[in-house]
Amino acid sequence: MAMAQQTVNTAIDSLTAALKSNIIPNQEYFLQGSILDSSVEVLLHRLRGLCDNVDTNLETFHDHEMCFSIRGPNNTQPLQLRVRRSLDHNGMPMQLRYIGQPEIGDKSRPTVLRNSIDIGTSNTVVEFLTELGCRKDFEYSAKGYMFRKGRMKITVFKVFKIDETRKMMSSGGFDALSPLTHSYLVELSVLAPSGQDAIADDMRCFAEQLRPLVQLEKIDYKRLVHGP
Amino acid sequence: MSAYSVNISVEAPVENQIQEITYDGQEIYTPPLTMSEHLTKLAQKIDFAKCGPEELNKEITEIDKNEDEAEQSTAPPLWPWDSVRNKLRNALTEVSVLADVLSIAKDKHYMVLDPVPQEPPELKPMVQVYARKKALAGAASVLLSGADRLKNLQAEALRNRTTPDFHIELLRLRQNFRLKKVSNSIVGDLSYRTAGSKFAQNGTFEVTKAEEDGDSPLSPPCSPNASLSNKPTSALRVTVPSELQGVAFIKVFFQKDQDSLTAAQLNLPSSSTANAIPDMYWQPKLEAAQNVLFCKELFNQLAKDAVQLQSPIPHIVVGNQIIASVLPGIQLVIGLCHSGVSTDGKTAVVPPSSNGHDHVLEHSLHQLLRELHHKNTHHPFPHPSSGPIGPSKRRRLAGPCAADREELMQMTQSETMLEQVIKQAQHINLRDRTLFVLDRLAKDIKDPLITSHWNALNSPTQSCVKINIVAHMYDTICRTSLLIHVNETTLKCITRDGRVIHMSYESQELRDFIMCQVYLHQMTAVQNLAKCMGWQCLANSAQLGVGAVEPFGNASSCVLASPTGERLISVRCEPKSGVHVTIAQSPRKDFFPGQLVKERKWENLGGSFKEVRWDKMEGKNFLNKMELLMASLTSS
Repeated sequence: MAMAQQTVNTAIDSLTAALKSNIIPNQEYFLQGSILDSSVEVLLHRLRGLCDNVDTNLETFHDHEMCFSIRGPNNTQPLQLRVRRSLDHNGMPMQLRYIGQPEIGDKSRPTVLRNSIDIGTSNTVVEFLTELGCRKDFEYSAKGYMFRKGRMKITVFKVFKIDETRKMMSSGGFDALSPLTHSYLVELSVLAPSGQDAIADDMRCFAEQLRPLVQLEKIDYKRLVHGP
Repeated sequence: MSAYSVNISVEAPVENQIQEITYDGQEIYTPPLTMSEHLTKLAQKIDFAKCGPEELNKEITEIDKNEDEAEQSTAPPLWPWDSVRNKLRNALTEVSVLADVLSIAKDKHYMVLDPVPQEPPELKPMVQVYARKKALAGAASVLLSGADRLKNLQAEALRNRTTPDFHIELLRLRQNFRLKKVSNSIVGDLSYRTAGSKFAQNGTFEVTKAEEDGDSPLSPPCSPNASLSNKPTSALRVTVPSELQGVAFIKVFFQKDQDSLTAAQLNLPSSSTANAIPDMYWQPKLEAAQNVLFCKELFNQLAKDAVQLQSPIPHIVVGNQIIASVLPGIQLVIGLCHSGVSTDGKTAVVPPSSNGHDHVLEHSLHQLLRELHHKNTHHPFPHPSSGPIGPSKRRRLAGPCAADREELMQMTQSETMLEQVIKQAQHINLRDRTLFVLDRLAKDIKDPLITSHWNALNSPTQSCVKINIVAHMYDTICRTSLLIHVNETTLKCITRDGRVIHMSYESQELRDFIMCQVYLHQMTAVQNLAKCMGWQCLANSAQLGVGAVEPFGNASSCVLASPTGERLISVRCEPKSGVHVTIAQSPRKDFFPGQLVKERKWENLGGSFKEVRWDKMEGKNFLNKMELLMASLTSS
């Protein structure tokens, strides 16, 4: 017992030490924009030119994301957890992710900054969360393209509704996806340890190069929620 | 103003006014006006003639009033219209005086206006001539300078037909190299950093326009032979840092003995150092510089590996070479040869021609560094897409699959470049040894023929050879085939019956093994032949326990009986001393009844074996001799 206590302590100690020395990439620098379906080809073309590894093929992805929430004991702000899995790559672990409140900041800050902690999990994470008392808020599927430029990750994807009526079928409803909008969502993000603000300027420079095809901006969700 | 009028705001253009356009088209702008200058300019535009006499009178009274006020205030404020007002007042005074004078003169009562006779201008012919001459000279100089410029342009256009334009060349350069404009100069980068290199040395170069004037007197001494003089001249000139100039390559060779371990400085043959042309065309020059940088990075990486690697015989890094032991007694020497400008201090003489250069290893070294570069840039994409970029699929699975410490440690380990090169070198050595042993055996042993087929498809650290042992003319009777995998330091041999034998790099082991296989082949072949001839195999043993002890392997033997059973042949194969054949026959011809064995019937027992003088036998090879022997014994 004493031994076990000891090992647990050291594990937590090393984790806190790692947190203190700022080596865990737990901050996400983030910009968002959108582009109409008609011009997405142009954007993809430009991204292929701008990003690394032009020689390789276009990297596609198809993910399924579920958002769970759990309320604290004293009815505080619910904690949101996202579970994401890849539909087109077998054998990859599912991902559990916490995303904190985005900090918009003032005009001098070029990107949105939010906390982000993610971890690979086994396939039973949904059952685990349900047992914990989490409730599924919503789910969607995202399908699109991924690019890389240095540490920056650029995703261009479309958000699809999941057909509830066909969900019982073998394909899980992923064969007949209905898109939510007629546009693609463009995200530019970097995961970094806190305090590395230099990368945000790089991101702004990169976003400048995508204008006027797509305006990557800091998007204030609160304004969207409470707006008219 | 009518109701349909549109308000138009008129603003001054943003550009400055053009003061002058020079002959070459350059526009000289007037500097922008300051606030007060602008004001005075506007004030100068006021048209006083428009004012009628009534307004004038009004103004006069007003100005008079103002004047009074101005006089009253002893220190008038210096407002912007002050000078204008003063000028206006003076003008008004003069105009009113003139008006008075005119009105008086009109009546011709008190004043008469007489024309004043004008003096004719004084003509000075010499002054006029000089003035005209000066003006003409000025015009002529303008025309001449213009003609010069046109001539220059035309000459440049003519030259451009043979050598491309500076800007076109810059464009071509830009298509192959990264260029950047830093203030007034163009700076390029020839390093492999965008391709994934992490080498610290930077490969910046500067691009300048080649001066046409400086070229023509310099080029004849630079190019003593005619072939160099008509090489394509370029409008571009690139300047690479001195440490990247010259030619470099990685020299790789094997060193057999300990005695030449003395650290010798590797150098290029002197012939290649001499013709380092300083004024090369930009493309080969940049490519050479890039190659120098690449070789430097390669050597740097290998040296780093050599220092860090723990091996039983430590690798040595001396000067510009790395010595790593490959197999006992054989070292791999990797050297960086650079015929730079600054290496004049280290011109130790070494005979590089004595030890050859391994082009294959040099190529694989280049390949390994490029693979490293590729690995640095090509990180796998995360799936699901929200994951971080970087970790491999195994790393991602490590958490959910609860990988233990050992598995995680394994993920971090990877072979260094030097290790991989040493492995390849070991393989090359072992392959050459195997090749040599097999060829030697094939040459020495004529009786069963040994043929070896090397697989064309192989990897840098593994190759495969198939060995067939057959007897000439009897290849359908018996064929022994075996497969040898040549790895880095070991040989794996798979025989026909599925046995796997591992051998070390010592070539004697392989030699002994093949010899054993040869005698085994002979025994099997004899038995197969006996079947064909109708003889019977009474006994055989591959590992015979009797007789002298063999240095390697075991003696094998078999006993064959003729179809009638009257004749016996015994064959004994010893890997050391070869084949011994003995025969016996029954009834024995030399049977004499003795005291113990009295009856005649005992003559049917086989007699004692007599050795056949094998070297005197007819026949081309062992099997042929055996066939003849069997045939003669059957018939007699």
